Formats: sequence, C-alpha cells, structure tokens
Amino acid sequence: MPGEVYSQLMKELVEGKYVFTGELEPEKAGDVKEPIEAARELVGLVTACNVTDNPQSFAYVNSLAAAYKIEKETGMECVYQLRCADRNRMALLSDVLGAGVLGIKNILALAGDHVSLGDTPDAKPVFDLDSTTLIYMIRKMVDEGKDLAGNDIHNPPKLHVGGAAAPGAAHLKAEVAKVKRKIKVGVEYLQTQVVYYPEILDKFFKELGKVDVPILVGIFPAKSFGAADFFDKYVAGVDVPPDYLKSLEATKEIKDKEKKKQEIDRINVEYFTSFLEYLKGTPAAGCHMMAVGYPRIIAPLKKVME
Amino acid sequence: MIAQEQKPIEEILGYLEGKNNIVIVGCGGCATFYHTGDKKAVDGMADKLEKEGKKVTKIYMPFSMQVCETEKSGVFLNKKRKALEDCDAVLVMSCGDGVQVATEYIEEGMGLMKGVYPANNAIGLVGGGPTKFKETCLSCGMCELGKTAGICPLTSCGKGLMNGPCGGVRVDNKCEIDPEKDCAWVKIYERMEKLGELDKFLEMRAPHEWSKCKRPRLFEIEEPVNMMSAMIGAMPGFLTYTFSAKPKLGEKE
Ligand code: SF4
Ligand code: SF4
Repeated sequence: MPGEVYSQLMKELVEGKYVFTGELEPEKAGDVKEPIEAARELVGLVTACNVTDNPQSFAYVNSLAAAYKIEKETGMECVYQLRCADRNRMALLSDVLGAGVLGIKNILALAGDHVSLGDTPDAKPVFDLDSTTLIYMIRKMVDEGKDLAGNDIHNPPKLHVGGAAAPGAAHLKAEVAKVKRKIKVGVEYLQTQVVYYPEILDKFFKELGKVDVPILVGIFPAKSFGAADFFDKYVAGVDVPPDYLKSLEATKEIKDKEKKKQEIDRINVEYFTSFLEYLKGTPAAGCHMMAVGYPRIIAPLKKVME
Repeated sequence: MIAQEQKPIEEILGYLEGKNNIVIVGCGGCATFYHTGDKKAVDGMADKLEKEGKKVTKIYMPFSMQVCETEKSGVFLNKKRKALEDCDAVLVMSCGDGVQVATEYIEEGMGLMKGVYPANNAIGLVGGGPTKFKETCLSCGMCELGKTAGICPLTSCGKGLMNGPCGGVRVDNKCEIDPEKDCAWVKIYERMEKLGELDKFLEMRAPHEWSKCKRPRLFEIEEPVNMMSAMIGAMPGFLTYTFSAKPKLGEKE
C-alpha cells in the first residue's frame, strides 16, 4: 500500500470502504460527449470511472485526453487506462508525465489486446513494455522520481497505478503467479476481468492467498443481448452464463422499447443481485462495474450492497 | 534457416509489368529447403513468365550455393553476365537478404544498373522439420533464453512480452492472437515449474534491451570459412544423416 494517497479512489480503498468503479468508453469520434453524459449519470454512484484505451484494439479517442475532459466537465474521478500495445517506453513515460500535468490521479497499466484483433490490424504492435514493467516504471517515476534508464524526473507525478487480473484465466497458476509479480513490483490496486461464476472467483482467491492489495471484481451487466454475446464470443477468459444469455436473447422479441429496457434491467438486477450478495463474503475490496453505455443499471445494483 | 514462401504470382507480375526480358536467380540455401528457390521453383516461375510472353534466362544456384554469399553466388551471376546486361529486370527467388545481396552485387560488383525484384516473402528464422517449422528467434542481439526456461519471449509470445502471460490466454492454453499456437508464457511457467525454478518466474524480467538491435547490424569475422575443408568436414555428418536410422520422438538413446 502506498505511503501517500493522491486520489479519492485510493483514499476509499485505504480506508477499507467498499468501492464501486464504473467504465467509460471514448469512441472513434472527434468528441467525448457520450462518455461525458454517461459520467454525469454516475457522479455520486461510483468513486471513479475507468476510461478505456483502445479497447479490443479498436483505435479511439486518446484515453488521457478523454479522462481529462471527463474529469473537468463532470467532476468524476477517472482511472486512465494505458496500454503497452501502441506505445514504446518513451511514449508511455511521456503519457504518464502528461497525466500528472493534467491532474489525473489513477492509472490502470495494461498490456492490451494484440493490434491484429482490432480495426487496424496492419498496425505495428509495440509491446516494448508489458503490464508488469509498466507498473514498475510508474512506481519508479512516482516514488523515486526516476525513469527506467535512471534519469531524474523533475517534480515527479503524483498518481497511483493499478493492474488487471484474470480470475477466469485458462491457466490459473500462471495467471496468479503473474499477479503476484505485479504485486511485488508495487501495483496499488487490482481490477479483475469480468467474472460471472462464484466458483471461478473462489478458486482465484484461494490460489492467490492473502494479499495486501485491494481487488475490485469486474462485473458486466449487459445493456443488450448483443453486448453480452460479444463478450461471450470475443473476450478471452470470460464465459457468459448460458441462462443469463438466453433470457437476454428473449428480450429481442419485445417490440415496445420501454418495456424491453425494463425487462433487460430486471434480468440484470436479478442475476447480479445474487452475485453481489456473494461478493460481500469474499476478500473483494469492491466492484468494478463495466456497464459501458448502461449507466442506469448502476443505481439499482448498488442498492444491493447497502 | 530462414523460412519463406512464394509471393502471389499477381504481385510478381505487377513488379515485372512492361519488362519483357527477365533473369530469374534461384538460391541453393534456405530457399532450396523451402522449395522457393531450387531448380524446380526456378523452372516453375520461368514457365509462368514465359506464358505471359516474357523471355526468361534462368540462373540456378546448386545446393549449398546461397545467393546471400557473394563469394559463391557472384561466380554464378558472372557466368551469365551477358544475360544480366541485356535483361530488363532480375527476379530473385530467395529471402529478402538474398535479394538485397544480389542487388548490391549486380550494381557494385558487376557495374550493372538493373531493377531487382523479390519472388518470395521471408517469414522468419525457424527450427524443426522435416515438414513443420516454427519461428523461434528474432536474432534480437541480446538473448533472453536464460531467463525464460529456454523459450523465446520475444518470438514465441505473440506480443513479445517479457513478463507474461497476458490476460488473453485461451482455453487449452492457446494464444490470444491465434488459436493454433500455444501460449509461450504458459509453457515457460510449466517448464520453470518442472525445473523447480518458479521463484524465477515470479521475478520481473527487465524490459528488453533494444539498444542491442540497432539496424542494420554489421558483423565481421576474422577468418572466412574455407569451402573445401568445410565440405570435406561435412562428409561424416552427411553420411551419418543419410545412412543411420532416423531418431523418433520419445525414443531412448
Ligand atoms: S531472446 Fe529470442 S530473439 Fe533474442 S536471441 Fe534469444 S531466442 Fe533470439
Ligand atoms: S496468450 Fe500467451 S503467447 Fe499469446 S500474447 Fe498472451 S502471453 Fe503471449
């Protein structure tokens, strides 16, 4: 755990408060109106929101620019996601310094999906650093005021760095060893990939053992059948439960838009109520709700935890 | 060896558009192993070009005569100096290295200014065989194998991560990028586990030193290989390979 606390997110985690985070996705556009709108709806409901960096390797608005704009216009604290797929260590360092300059207080350090999986498959993949070495670099910048080559940083940035974990990983032992490696180099909090099954999370926590780093467990209430289906098909290490998928699929038949919305909300509240109840009994420090484009679901789900 | 495959003929014809008199240069090295520059490949390419109405001169490189070594290939190119002088373009059936060595030799060694075009795509330094090969090394200049249980993190991991696995490993431990390929980092984990070196896995490997790979890298050896004694020295090995029983996987010594 860090000596100094710079962000609201870290403050609440250090205090042991049960924390909720949300997720915002800048898109391929010349503005960030949509994530700003979504952020407005989430103010007061979540402590901070992740701002995604080229998710699934689709090239979108720069996540630092988006995070800055969202914080400025809505007051929502952001977790600036930063991936190694598109930048070498110099560019990563510049961006982290830039984040400091813009007052961003949280970074989530990621390797990122391979560029060949996205909408610009001919791009040269970079991966000069990986998630672990990026976390290491950021801690070195913040704590020692040095870059990777040992050069001094004048007035180093004051921010926190988090990392990801994948409880549903095919090879859990290797995944957990990697998570432990991230903890060793100083990751300050972890956010997990989406989990649907309690058994998966139980196994993960058991393999990991007791750790000092707060872990926010990812859930994905889907705003439509399509969104859940996409997750099921294309996101590695995540199996969406067939029953949940089926009930979402059935809503495709509902013609009345309002009724359809209500039914989708009902399905999500029903499914995730029991999951969140279960989560209370785990070592999770909170919940990361990846309800992209679906902010209205957060309030009813949060109620469960009160 | 440098694995390679032939480019689509449409692409090759595109480079040769408007050029009617073509010299095809084969390669007796890796391109012979991969059937992209041996006699048969050169003949096949010549047929295709002739069908397009082009006049073709073939320069075969016998086995072990690589285009990338000018000392050897220069002899064969010089023998066909006239054809090279008269041609509109040269098509080299080797890896990209051979194409460039030939380009430089034809211009600087023979004093001829000719367009030289590639017939193949080189796809990496591979190992294995006899029919299945795997890219295993990028020749990065700072070998990391001592830190990764002998599996190259830069080449075998789809993302070239020094500290994997990434979050994308598929069921069956296949790679995020390609379900046909194994996740290198799961393999590294498993090998380290068996070697009793998991403590090493938990250590962060420092970012790779790309400063060791300033391209193009130049290289010099003190003494060139003596072809005659190398050939004689190769005989016992060649005879053993040809006449001994071939090893089978899993067979005890
Ligand atoms: S680290 Fe990999 S690419 Fe570099 S020399 Fe070793 S095997 Fe080759
Ligand atoms: S799945 Fe394994 S091999 Fe593929 S990119 Fe990820 S860590 Fe590398």
